[in-house]
Amino acid sequence: MFRDVTFGQYYPKNSFVHNMDARIKLVLCLLFMVGIFFVQSYVGFALVTVFLMVVILASKVPLKSILKSVKGIVVLLILTAMLNIFFTKSGNVLVSWWIFTITDEGLIYASKMLLRLVYLVIGSSVLTLTTTPVDLTHAIERLLAPLKVIKFPVHDLALIMSLTLSFIPSLIDETDRIIRAQKARGADFDTGNLFQRAKAFVPILIPLLVGGFRRAEELANAMNSRCYEGATNRTQMRVMKLSWRDLVASLVCIIVFGGIIVVYAMKATWQPILPWMYF
Amino acid sequence: MSKSPVVAPQIDEKVAIYANNLNFVYNPKSPFEKHALKDISLSINKGEFVAIVGHTGSGKTTFVQHLNALVRHQSGDLFVAGLNLADKKLDLKKLRGSVGMVFQYPEYQLFADTVLEDVAFGPRNFGVAREDAYKLAKNALETVGLDFEQIKSKSPFDLSGGEKRRVALAGVLAMKPQILVLDEPTAGLDPQGKREILSLVKSINKQNDITVVMVSHDMNEVYENADRVIVFRDGGVVYDLPPRQLFKLEDQIVSMNLEIPQMAQFTNALEKQGIVLPDDCITVDQIFDALCQLKGGSNV
Repeated sequence: MFRDVTFGQYYPKNSFVHNMDARIKLVLCLLFMVGIFFVQSYVGFALVTVFLMVVILASKVPLKSILKSVKGIVVLLILTAMLNIFFTKSGNVLVSWWIFTITDEGLIYASKMLLRLVYLVIGSSVLTLTTTPVDLTHAIERLLAPLKVIKFPVHDLALIMSLTLSFIPSLIDETDRIIRAQKARGADFDTGNLFQRAKAFVPILIPLLVGGFRRAEELANAMNSRCYEGATNRTQMRVMKLSWRDLVASLVCIIVFGGIIVVYAMKATWQPILPWMYF
Repeated sequence: MSKSPVVAPQIDEKVAIYANNLNFVYNPKSPFEKHALKDISLSINKGEFVAIVGHTGSGKTTFVQHLNALVRHQSGDLFVAGLNLADKKLDLKKLRGSVGMVFQYPEYQLFADTVLEDVAFGPRNFGVAREDAYKLAKNALETVGLDFEQIKSKSPFDLSGGEKRRVALAGVLAMKPQILVLDEPTAGLDPQGKREILSLVKSINKQNDITVVMVSHDMNEVYENADRVIVFRDGGVVYDLPPRQLFKLEDQIVSMNLEIPQMAQFTNALEKQGIVLPDDCITVDQIFDALCQLKGGSNV
């Protein structure tokens, strides 16, 4: 019943992207996310598309699994597109009805925005599909390490994150079990009005919450009984190492997105002087 | 597969559960395809106490969940409590009201503010009026040996482990099922709690004439309680015998990674020495009495 919730989860493969250092992947992903909002022209979009295709090929993750995550935000996409289409008033009017007007600029702007969002989701799902949650939290911990100087509990934060992630599968299983148990007692989740249906979930949510607290307490006891102590001089079981892959990927990303940002900045300052600049 | 007579179990009033060539495949036509049940054919009579045993992944849980359509029937015949589970328009409420299912660790399904409300949840779902549901709850709580007046307005989360499990069991019994299906009812209980739950199930079976199907890993409790043991392996039924006969097949049982109950080991060892006890010698007391009689002495 809840098996299909697992979109964007780690897809085990042995590929260039999988074998990259999680820290680098995370940073490059952030660079990609920022860079994509600086892309304005068609040439720029073409460049990003080629870049994404290369990344996906290098990750060996089937396109189907990647597009699944786009499916999750379809509603958001439609809403964004509508807002952009209807609220852009500049440009040549194509259709006009009541208070709605559609202009050519609106359409272009909306499709660019749509493309950016889709690419954003694809980019981040490549990250989560090729990196195990454990590696990801380690990477976050390492990247946030400088914040320790200002007494920010980086280690605890990373621990909370990795525990949260590791609880998800067992909570899904538990939900499944509770639903079955209540169904066996005649609980009905599929009929009745909205209010009745919402009420029907109480017998699931309460045992689930109680179970969650129980697990949390058991885990806390298990950690205490092993004398777990947060951040004090812990070493990592998996030491993260940079390799040639990270160097190559970083260079490519920096050239592509650094270039895009530089061109954007240049365009803003120089376009009045050099109107032929296309990017 | 030949078409089997689908009316057979309805004619025989005594049959509670009837399966013929029942098959089930998880995730058919996908890389995760798993043939969980293969040509299961069995029949369980009303009032019987049947144990289902087998290694993890042998298909016993899948089979048991078929019995009240938590896992939907795919192919073959399956009749439970007079209902045809292959029927597309199957009355799920009626089926689930007739087949009470007690899951592993049933206390984790408790949710209501008070014990009374929780136990009445089942009957209320089946459209029983509030007052009547409370009466059913009272009966059920008394059946499982709890003091109704003392416990009814407590929160189910404040009870002890054993009490919680009794309350959960009462929650299923309150639906007045004809068939009671239990999935490892004694898991995680101490020996005392195990004995109590088992004798409770046994008395529900004998006094209220409810058919009991119990999945268990503990061969000792199977041996002492069940009228019949059905052994599942790799999705199929390999043995369907009374416990005494089954556990005489020591080599076969051990080869399936199942244990021989202690008392069966004892009687089997005696038999190898030429001391043959009657077939109804299951418990320590029965064996003791039989041995005394063999000796020609009096039953001390």
